[in-house]
Amino acid sequence: MILGSSAQAYHNNMVGPIMRAGDLATAVIEAAKLDNPGRELFVEDKRAYIRIHMEQEMVLRRQTIEEELGRPFKMNDLEVDLSSFAGQIESRDNEIRFYFVKRI
Amino acid sequence: MALLNRMDWYDLARTTNWTPTYVTEDELFPPQLSGGFGLPQGAWEKYDEPYKQTYPEYVKVQREKDAGAYSVKAALERSRIFENSDPGWKSVMKAHYGAIARGEYAAASAEARMMRFSKAPGMRNMATLGCMDEIRHGQMQLYFPHEHVAKDRQMDWAFKAYDTNEWAMIAARHFFDDIMLTRDAISVSIMLTFSFETGFTNMQFLGLAADAAEAGDHTFANLISSIQTDESRHAQIGGPALKVLIENGHKAEAQKRVDIAVWRAWKLFSVLTGPIMDYYTPLEHRKQSFKEFMEEWIVAQFERALTDMGLDLPWYWEQFLADLNETHHGMHLGSYYWRPTVWWNPAAGVTPEERDWLEKKYPGWNETWGQCWDVIIENVVDGNMALTYPETLPYVCNMCQLPILGTPGSKWNVKDYPLDYNGRLYHFGSEVDRWVFQQEPERYAGHLSIVDRFLAGMIQPMDLGGALHYMNIAPGECGDDAHDYAWADVYRAMRATKKAG
Repeated sequence: MILGSSAQAYHNNMVGPIMRAGDLATAVIEAAKLDNPGRELFVEDKRAYIRIHMEQEMVLRRQTIEEELGRPFKMNDLEVDLSSFAGQIESRDNEIRFYFVKRI
Repeated sequence: MALLNRMDWYDLARTTNWTPTYVTEDELFPPQLSGGFGLPQGAWEKYDEPYKQTYPEYVKVQREKDAGAYSVKAALERSRIFENSDPGWKSVMKAHYGAIARGEYAAASAEARMMRFSKAPGMRNMATLGCMDEIRHGQMQLYFPHEHVAKDRQMDWAFKAYDTNEWAMIAARHFFDDIMLTRDAISVSIMLTFSFETGFTNMQFLGLAADAAEAGDHTFANLISSIQTDESRHAQIGGPALKVLIENGHKAEAQKRVDIAVWRAWKLFSVLTGPIMDYYTPLEHRKQSFKEFMEEWIVAQFERALTDMGLDLPWYWEQFLADLNETHHGMHLGSYYWRPTVWWNPAAGVTPEERDWLEKKYPGWNETWGQCWDVIIENVVDGNMALTYPETLPYVCNMCQLPILGTPGSKWNVKDYPLDYNGRLYHFGSEVDRWVFQQEPERYAGHLSIVDRFLAGMIQPMDLGGALHYMNIAPGECGDDAHDYAWADVYRAMRATKKAG
């Protein structure tokens, strides 16, 4: 039938957070642009959640999010609205990284 | 006071393995519960959780999450969202809470197994937090529906469902018991946290939240998306276990566990999530089709991540992709047909506009599933209601515990996949369901499906009344058409117009 479209969905290299809407998500979108200069950002708002994606790798820095929020922010505070994410994750004190090892 | 950064002390704090001297390692970590795959403690100490969290951070973040979810509930409590919502949407909530809420407590037990018995210190730490997550999910998903129990008796099934022999609950328990409660710690991490939680819970807790937000049910949307923020952390428990297994030459064992869990999750979601997304949710509030949500969350996101970690796509990948177009339509038709045996009121979801939507999302729907619905619609319009109910039992698969289905129409393809094991004839709805059984027959062999129980005389009297009694469905709880057949008016009018013309 329409096997093709489903199979195609697998062929992607999109990584990044999927956030509940709110000021944190807005700050993360801005941070994604600032912390990954020159990279194309894909933002898809599904109302209950927002996909914030890039090809292959995305880094978010604590300080950038803090500046965008205008209030103190610890990296693990991201979890409050981090509903899901695409790719693998690496969490550190001052940054978080979403990535794929392989490229399709 | 200056505090050390987390990463300055994290590794040291989780170094909690020691060499036992009073007991053997196998006594401390019984293989049946620990699932060490023959690997010594040292191999599991290389386990490195990618999503790190500490207890003080956990308490702070969870408090903030709860404050958010409960304040949205409090703010909207008097808005009469439930009373004013479409009956189809109420059925979404009833099916969700019944099938999920108490399962969360089972998940807490599964997390507790990893917390105590895993040889990987990092896993024990993350599972401690995961266990508390699951207790939170159980409590919230019992507390939130409770305000509606006085208004609608079926809402009581949020608590009651898991204690019953209702057929969908037998199916849900069979699956959850298999991946959560009857496996060693490492298998739980792969089957529950990696396969089920990084994959399928996103469908139910974020895909459905998108529909809920469209339907204006912000309490529910906010609740389930908040729950998913816990899942996205503790779902990462399984990934590093997979890496340890792959590095130590156990890829095939890991792959098998993933393949079993993914297929079994898919079957359960085809009956639970498929119908509510494509038929119960009012048309104007459907964000995407079930298939589109599956493509987004399972195909594009989960399976892509799975292969990035060094595993392969499941061996049944092509069949899975093909079934995304079909299985849940049959599950919906079946649960609508046998509607007195569910604790919610199925919405038919087949007005002309809805059929156009189904045809667009699933080309060929009218030629296949639509033909069956044509017959039901004719009978409803004619007032032949008895003909809209079944007189017989479906054949039920001895793995997924759900009806054995085919796609109706010219390509009618229903097929039984039988297996003789120790003198008993088992029936399966697909090659994959049978394959799951064959991987470990003794695990499943003693179980009786609802139809097996019927044929064994365990359900008396052998009629609908006896079946409802067996399934603990009290009067006033039986499912019926969500809209009391009001949707058929348009077909009645079309027939009248045709006659007049």
